[in-house]
This record gives sequence, C-alpha cells and structure tokens, in this order.
Amino acid sequence: MLDLFYAPLTETYFQKALIGGSIIAMVAGVVGCLVVLRRMAFLGDALSHAMIAGVAGGYLVMKLAFGLEAHAPGMLLGSLIAAVTTVALISFVSRISRVKEDTAIGIMYTGIFALGVVAVSIFRHYIHIDLMHFIMGDILGVADIDLWVSAFVGAGVLTVLILFFRHFQLSTFDPVMAASIGLPVVLLDYLLTTCVSLVVVSAVSMVGVILVVGLLITPAATAYLLCDRLDKMMALSALFGVTSVVGGLYLCVWLDSAGGGAIMLFCTLQFLVVLVLAPKYGLLFRWMRLRNLVPQQEVEDVLTTVLRNKKPAPVDIIRKYAGQGKNLDKVLKRMIQDGLLTQQNQEYALTDKGNKEAHTVLRAHRLWESYLESIGTPKKEVHSIAHRLEHLDQAQTSAYLDKKLGSPKTGPHGKEIPAKTS
Amino acid sequence: MIKETSFAIEVAHLTVSYNAKPALLDVNVKIEADQLVGVIGPNGAGKSTFIKAILGFVKPDLGTVKIQGTHVKNAKGRVAYVPQRGAVDWDFPITVREVALMGRFQKIPWYASPRKKDRDAAMEALEMVRMADFAHRQIGELSGGQQQRVFMARALAQGSDILLLDEPFAGVDAATERAILEVLERAKKSGKTLVVVHHDLSTAAEYFDKLLLIKQRLYAYGEPYMVLQEDLLSQVYEGKLKIFKDVVKKEGN
Repeated sequence: MLDLFYAPLTETYFQKALIGGSIIAMVAGVVGCLVVLRRMAFLGDALSHAMIAGVAGGYLVMKLAFGLEAHAPGMLLGSLIAAVTTVALISFVSRISRVKEDTAIGIMYTGIFALGVVAVSIFRHYIHIDLMHFIMGDILGVADIDLWVSAFVGAGVLTVLILFFRHFQLSTFDPVMAASIGLPVVLLDYLLTTCVSLVVVSAVSMVGVILVVGLLITPAATAYLLCDRLDKMMALSALFGVTSVVGGLYLCVWLDSAGGGAIMLFCTLQFLVVLVLAPKYGLLFRWMRLRNLVPQQEVEDVLTTVLRNKKPAPVDIIRKYAGQGKNLDKVLKRMIQDGLLTQQNQEYALTDKGNKEAHTVLRAHRLWESYLESIGTPKKEVHSIAHRLEHLDQAQTSAYLDKKLGSPKTGPHGKEIPAKTS
Repeated sequence: MIKETSFAIEVAHLTVSYNAKPALLDVNVKIEADQLVGVIGPNGAGKSTFIKAILGFVKPDLGTVKIQGTHVKNAKGRVAYVPQRGAVDWDFPITVREVALMGRFQKIPWYASPRKKDRDAAMEALEMVRMADFAHRQIGELSGGQQQRVFMARALAQGSDILLLDEPFAGVDAATERAILEVLERAKKSGKTLVVVHHDLSTAAEYFDKLLLIKQRLYAYGEPYMVLQEDLLSQVYEGKLKIFKDVVKKEGN
C-alpha cells in the first residue's frame, strides 16, 4: 500500500514533474486570486492561446539568427511579447470601436492563436514544435531547463506580488481610491498582466494551453469559498495548487492517464468538494441554515394562540390553532431559545418579550380586520384575510392602518385593539 | 499648519468635455472649509465629472482646481473619497479593519508594511463611526448603513481635511440615513470639509450648510434657501418641478 505512494517518488521524471508542477501551481494560485477578483479569467485563457505565435516566432528568430535549436529563453521571450501584443490589441480594439472587451478578447486571441498555428505548419522544416504537446502539455517530460525557467519565473512573480501586495489589494478592491492617493493604477495593471503572462507561459509546457486557465483560477476560486481575507486566500490558493499537482500526478501514474488532464481533474474535484463542504459559503451549510430557519409566520401564530388562550397553553391547543406546519416542535424549541416562551409541565406561557410581540401581532390583526370591514370585505372572509396579512411588517402596516382608520379602540367584533407597544 | 487660503476647494473656469459634449462649462466656485456641502442636480448634470475633477482624474479643457491652495495635480490624497455603495464588490475577501487600514496606505512607503501606529489609527477611525465591534467581519455581512460607515472610517483614517462622498444616502432607510448624517456632522465638527453628492431635494435643505446646484453650468452655490428657489430649480429640473413645489414652499417660510 505504502509502496503505491513511494514507488513513483523514486522515478526521476516523477520528481521533476512534482517539483516543476508544484512551483508553477503555487505561483499560479497566488496570481489567480487577483485574476478571479478582477474577473480576468477570460484574459488568462487568451494569453495562453496567444503564446503559440510567440513560441513559434522566438524559435524561428533564434534558429535563423543564431542557429540555436529550441532555445527556451528565446521562446519564453517570444511568448511574452505575444502576450503583451495581445493585451495591447485587445484594449486598442475595445477602446476605439464599439466592440466590447469580451468580444475583443475573443477575436484577438483566436486570431493570434491561428497565426501561430499557421506559422508552425508553414515553417515545419525549420521549427519542430509538436502542436499536440503544446495543446495538451507534457508534465511527465519536464526538462531541466523548464525547471529552471519555472523556478526563476516563480520567484520573480512571487517577489513582485509580496512586495506590492497592498498596492494590488487596493487597486483591485477600489481603483478610484487607489488613483486618488496617487497609486499608478495603470502601471499596476500592466505589472499584473505581465505576471499572469509569465505564469501562463511557464505553465503551458506542463498542462497545455487548454488547461492552464484552470490552474490559474480553480485553486483561487476554491480558496475564495473559504476565506475572508486576501492574504489568507492567496496562501490557501497556493496550497490548493500544490495539492492539485501532487494528487493529479499520483492519479496519472495510477491510472496511467495524461498528466495535465489528471491534475486539472483533481483540481476540479477539490473545488467541488469545497463547494459542498465549505463552512460559511458552502452548499451544505447553506442548506442546513435554510432548514433551521423557522418561518416567522409560524412563530407569530404560536404567539397569538397562546395570547388568546389567556393562560399557559398545552401543546394540543397550540397544535389545533397554529400547528398546521409539520415542524411545530422545532418552532416551539426555537421560541424557548429566543426567550419568547417558557415551558412548565407540558404547557407553554409567554415571556414578557413574547407577550409584547404577541400584542403587536394581535394589534395588526385587529387593525386589518377593521380595515377590511371598512372596505366592504364579506364578513366570512375578514378573519382569514386578516390572519394572512397580520404577518406583514407590522411596524409599517399598523402605523399606516391606525392613522387611516383614525386610531380605533375596538375591532369590528367589539374586541379591544391592543395599544402600540414600543 | 498655516493655510495660505481659507478655501478648501477652489474651482475656476472649469470646463470639461467628452467627445465635443460639455460635461462641465465654466464652473467657478470656492468652497469654504468646515462645511457640509451638498451637490445637487439632475442625472447627467455632470455631478460625477465634478467629483472626478476635484479628485484630479479628468483633464480639464480649461480651468483649474485647487485643493487648499495647491493645484489638484500636486494634491493627491488630500481629498478622501467615499465611493457609492453600488461601486464596491461586497464579496471581496476583506474585513472591516482592512478597509479602514487602506486609509493609511498613502502614508506608508511602498516598501514597508503597515505598523502598529497605522493599525491603531484605523481602529480609532472605526471607533469614531462606531464600527469597532465589527472590525473582523467581512464587509458583505454588514447592513447598508454599516457599510457606508466603514468607508467613512477609511476616509477619516486618511486624515484628509476634505471628504468627498458619492450618494451616501442612496438605498438606505430613514433611520440609517440619520445615523450616517450624524457621522457626517461629527466629522464636520472635527474640522473636515465634506462634499456630498445628493439626489433627494426634499432633505437637502435640512442636511447641508451649503448647496451647489449644477447642470453643466453652476446654477447656484450658497445657503439652501438661496439655492432652492423655484426659478432656479425649474431651469435645472425642467418639467419635473411639480414634485419640488413643497421643497420651495418649506424653504420660503
């Protein structure tokens, strides 16, 4: 059993994949938080696609000018240039034409991706880029040079983000205030875009063009469900990035599947688990909170029932008048917790607070009855309609009805309308 | 500190345009210090352009804006801005305390982290708006009025003498409106100048010391009874005057 975990660790390719993948996933997780909060996810996708043109260009230039085959730094630089060009074109098009930004992103990145694909196929005798490798990534074939590149990129991007954490936080949260205190907001935007490009470019060789945006946003979104502070979100997101790589790589070895796919699959499953189980923003918790919610209407029905009974009421009386709902026991328990009722020998009595609220509801009920009678509602229906309307926000409705009816002292059946309690 | 001028904000000949359409046309106004000033005018009257000009965000075609005697370009951070509630992402992972701390960022050098003195100042500002008990809450968990107060605290923590508020009373109930107004009055008492964009003419006279009526041009600036004149309002609000008849009458008394 233990061997299942230990055996892959002895393989060099696995070690390299683990180290390289973890570095990139960690940095992508941290940058991804800002990408998610700024709603830039689509731009991340665009950058990854655009870089194929840059890779081809970098390869071609280095080969023709210096005779170097597959020169990694040259291709990295080319990708960066392609990414920056894409961003510049996107903002240019969306600024000068009526085409909106998301459409501009879609146009530009597919265009530049297409340019890259065409270039790779035309120059196939000079440049040897495997398009499949580019699209799917090859984390199990990570070369030493890739490791070094990702280590440098990771260290650089992390340094920038930690150093300018406050600046990125403020310009993401409130760009207007950031500008008003003199922060270079536009420059910060470019800096962040550069960081995202760097991360995307170094992640593509591992998980491929299609999956890289997932590595960027999924761990960040997972952390988003668990945190109320940006620094914690970044730390947690980095952790989720690393666990995705570790979990995904084991998955890939055990199932003998594609590396990038396994990593993203694990990452997504991780997100779904957190989505369900997260303590504050998770589905399970929300469902439980809704279930524990006691309808105000039932509470008010119990209050008036006990009040009308004039003495502590046993359960069966309450059930008769207010207990149509199945969860009467829960309602009663909650009301005792909230200090509205007390229980003695199977009978329920109102506390002072409960008494006051009961009177408020009763007052609303009688006022509605008076009002309904005054507008000519058939006698038979007056009570039942008033019974429904008494649950509307009493502070507002009672004050209005009271004024409109000229502050009556008694209702239509001659019953007293309780005075306003404050 | 000796001030060269007693005016908090001086706007001279301010003209701003977007695509040949004037958003502001020859606006001249001097706003005295220690005032609670309401900026009123219909939608599209250039209120937000006016605010952007005071923050130094727009490049005017003509004219100057001076903050406490200094050209607005060199006065970054002297005006604290409180955004409209709709302009804030309330799901952002940030706590009340961190928002208040943001008010201190301009005083912290770029390479340093916030120190205890900054954190204390942020807490002090939260005390002032009575939000210290909520320091560790995420901002989305607060009520509308509480959210508004947190951003007031951030502006106070900035230590600026001039506060700019964009529709702080939009979408809050009457009781909350009172609570926010109380914070504004207290800020005024501590020597701040507050410029508030406001949309409700019926409360404008009651809330503010001075009103500024704007629609591209500056129509009036002064005490509420001077600004809330029927002829002025009818020029600015055109057909919608009927609604404001009451306002004018009330002020006439």
